[in-house]
Amino acid sequence: MMTKQVRYEALVKALHGDLYRYAYWLCHEKQVAEDLVQETFLRAWRALDSLKDEKAAKSWLITILRRENARRFERKRFDMSEYEEASITDTKSVTTEQELENHWLRDKISQLPPEYSEPLILQVLGGFSGEDIAAILDLNKNTVMTRLFRARNQLKEALEAEPVKRGIYNG
Amino acid sequence: MDDLQFRRAIYADPNNQDDDAILAQEQDPSKKQFAQEICQLDEKIKQALQVPVPDDLVDKLILRQTLATHQVQKRKTRVHLALAASVAIVGGLVLNFMQFSSAYHNLGDYALAHVYHEQGNVANNASSQVTLASLNQKMATFDGNFSQSLGKLLWADYCRFDGMKSLHLVYQGKTSPVTVFIVPKNEQLSFSDSFNDEALFGSSLEFNRSNIIVVGDKNESLGAWQKNISEKVSWSI
Repeated sequence: MMTKQVRYEALVKALHGDLYRYAYWLCHEKQVAEDLVQETFLRAWRALDSLKDEKAAKSWLITILRRENARRFERKRFDMSEYEEASITDTKSVTTEQELENHWLRDKISQLPPEYSEPLILQVLGGFSGEDIAAILDLNKNTVMTRLFRARNQLKEALEAEPVKRGIYNG
Repeated sequence: MDDLQFRRAIYADPNNQDDDAILAQEQDPSKKQFAQEICQLDEKIKQALQVPVPDDLVDKLILRQTLATHQVQKRKTRVHLALAASVAIVGGLVLNFMQFSSAYHNLGDYALAHVYHEQGNVANNASSQVTLASLNQKMATFDGNFSQSLGKLLWADYCRFDGMKSLHLVYQGKTSPVTVFIVPKNEQLSFSDSFNDEALFGSSLEFNRSNIIVVGDKNESLGAWQKNISEKVSWSI
């Protein structure tokens, strides 16, 4: 018999990373992402008894996080006016070639329209199936599949249009 | 599965394990190569998405929850205390209400109920008689005095008239006993100057501090009783 506390801590340890990354890709800011994850887990703690199926925990948390994110926009509509596209990716000094590549791709992903990037992140990062994503985003599955197709298509085209790094990405 | 369909399927889900997609890859090497390309792209996307998670995030999350739990518990004990207090107050009020509120709303209803309750106790032709002196002794409690007897007084004693100490007199009537109540005035029961049911009639007289209620059967002239009472009862102030 697990206590609520033990369940909660297990949930935090297992899923905080995925949730933080997902939050980061939703809002593109480290601090905001951290706040979102904190709010999400706090709400999750309060409602932990309603989580019956541990397998559904991830999508449950992501749903809470998305709602929390939407609430953020309701709360501070003015703070969130505009951000510089250039400032949204992380600015740590890039060293290896791999880092450079990641950095560049991150830039491209954050330039995708959110309706394309969100399902992509859920699929790649969260490992959700098309049906799961459709349920989380409240869309039908065909729409999700189309958006996933467009997201990858755009990224691939961007990669191919980048002559400087062309050699690396051209498979 | 044609090329376009295949490409769409792979773009949408590079790890597509549908039978169609697998079969198409096996049949056509170029499709297989395309699928591998997209898998590589996906691997890169995956790596790019792996932004570093702050090391202390777990600790922060657990700390925040612990603090919140603590606050909730503090609030809960306060709420429990408030609840217990509310329940006690409501309980007290209900008890109070049940004990001290009357089931009857006016003098008449209560008087009739009271008469029926004691109907069998005194027979109309009983031989016992209460003297005027002992009646007046009791009547002194209500600051009243009978100058003369109203008739043959069969029985006289204090009783509880809806919780109020009152005087209960039973006189010999024409066919059945006539009951007279002397009741202190009270807000709880509204005054009703005449009332009746199938067998009994009653009327009330209002004085300064008391009401006098006469209840008798239909053969009695309540008017005469009232007149008699008004003439023979005097009140000291």
